[in-house]
Amino acid sequence: MNARTYALVVATVGMLIASGIAASEGRAAPSPTLSIVSPTPNAVIGNGTPVVVVFAVTNFNLTASTNGTSSPNSGHVDVFVDGALAVTASVNTIVLALPFGAHAIRLQLVAINGSALSPDVTASVDVVVTRGSAGGIPGLSIVVPRDGALVGTDFTVSFRVTNFVLVAPGGPAGVPNEGHVRVGLDGAYHATLTDEAPLHLNLKDGPHAVTLELVGNDDRPLSPPVTVSINLTVQALLGRVTPFDATPFLALANLLIGLGILAAIYRKLEAR
Amino acid sequence: MTPPKSAPTPPTAALRSSSTWVLIALITLLVVSLSSSHAAAATPSLTILSPTEGAVIANGTPVLVHFLASNFAFVQPGRVGQVGASNEGHANVFLDSQSVRLLTDAEPFWLAVTSGAHTIRIQLVADNGTPLNPDVSATVGVVATQGPAGGVPRVEILSPGPLESTGHGTYVSYRIENFTLVEPRGQPNAPNEGHVQLLVGTDVVMEAIQYEPVLLVSLPEGDITITVRLVNNDNTALSPDASATVPIHVIASSSVTLPLVSNGGIALLLAFVLIVLILRRRKAGARQSNAGRGNR
Repeated sequence: MNARTYALVVATVGMLIASGIAASEGRAAPSPTLSIVSPTPNAVIGNGTPVVVVFAVTNFNLTASTNGTSSPNSGHVDVFVDGALAVTASVNTIVLALPFGAHAIRLQLVAINGSALSPDVTASVDVVVTRGSAGGIPGLSIVVPRDGALVGTDFTVSFRVTNFVLVAPGGPAGVPNEGHVRVGLDGAYHATLTDEAPLHLNLKDGPHAVTLELVGNDDRPLSPPVTVSINLTVQALLGRVTPFDATPFLALANLLIGLGILAAIYRKLEAR
Repeated sequence: MTPPKSAPTPPTAALRSSSTWVLIALITLLVVSLSSSHAAAATPSLTILSPTEGAVIANGTPVLVHFLASNFAFVQPGRVGQVGASNEGHANVFLDSQSVRLLTDAEPFWLAVTSGAHTIRIQLVADNGTPLNPDVSATVGVVATQGPAGGVPRVEILSPGPLESTGHGTYVSYRIENFTLVEPRGQPNAPNEGHVQLLVGTDVVMEAIQYEPVLLVSLPEGDITITVRLVNNDNTALSPDASATVPIHVIASSSVTLPLVSNGGIALLLAFVLIVLILRRRKAGARQSNAGRGNR
């Protein structure tokens, strides 16, 4: 191996090293990108849990620092919820505690000094947060009494709700799997229930129809409607043991005695 | 005639020879170092330290996950000029197959979990997001509940007492231990959480999620039993069963017999008036007859 060969080898190695180091700094870095891994668009975040946003970047160094020289390829992420800046992130996961309803989440890459990149790099996702379950079809059933039951004047209706959470009316409309129960009695509105406590009813004797229906926060029926009805017959003194009911006999006695009194008074008057 | 090749001078030859050896040594070192970085690097490993398999995450709290990654360097993915190196990358966290975290360090993290069984999986991935080869991941199953982590659920009826006489409506008060009442919304069963069923005889007459006394109405008259039973979210009985039963005697209240009493009272009053009238008439008749005798 002669001197030329040494020189060639050394030069080649040197060039390779130099090109490798210099290229990463010297070449213009590709433009940063930003994408949201989770949640998926229009995802329903159930049970009132926080929204976990997982995002990925390329060609961008996330840093918590807000001081130093700004470059187009390093900085942090500004997180906007419904247009308002909510939080700043320098890691790839953000946990957002959001109120119930629909929300637009927008992430934006910004430089260390907080200024937007040029061109702007953003990613957005829409989610709906509900106190109800994230999935499943809402269900409603009446546990007690059963359809066609004979009940006393005073009775309670126990019902069961599935895949749906009962909340006070007035919340944001369009939130899935949450709302309240509208009670109908003999075809007319009777009450609104916002929890699963049994419904106490006191009805007159005779047949009655009790209807329960799940409705959303805006008091509109669900689509498809979720409703359950039972027919009842109310009978006073049901379940009460009366060994001998003297009421009719006493009533008859009252009548006879009253007639006797009238007769006695009449004869007395006649005698005068 | 070709001129004789001049022999190298001793110092030049020695220098050339030593340089050759140095160069060979450097190249060998480079090759060894390059190859050893792939061949001799230890395989990454991942262990979830806590929670342990089957752990109960009680009282509706989030779960804190501690894990240990060995022979793996955590780096932020997508950095400028990033060249994927072996045993370097980040971790993806899945809760029931749903991506919930992208970890760029090995710090413990919290996860919010709803009632029921859940699977937490952590997977090490390369900088470009692809799983390592072979895959390096760790999984742990936990059960979350709104209830306490331990203890046997119990219920005790405080009122009415055994064989107590009550009216047709009565408040039933009870005490619950080691069990949390939650609205049954179709969520999965979880340890030590659920709701209460009240039974008259063998019939369920009410489901409740309250610790306060419950009003039972329209109780049938006579000797009956009232049972308070703790049940799972899907209405199945606990195992072992957690219930309490009390026998009571339901009697008619005074207000119920008011029509009877009033009717009887009126009848007695009228009878009294009638008797008074009859007696007065007789008395008047007697006076008249006495007066007639006197006139004679």
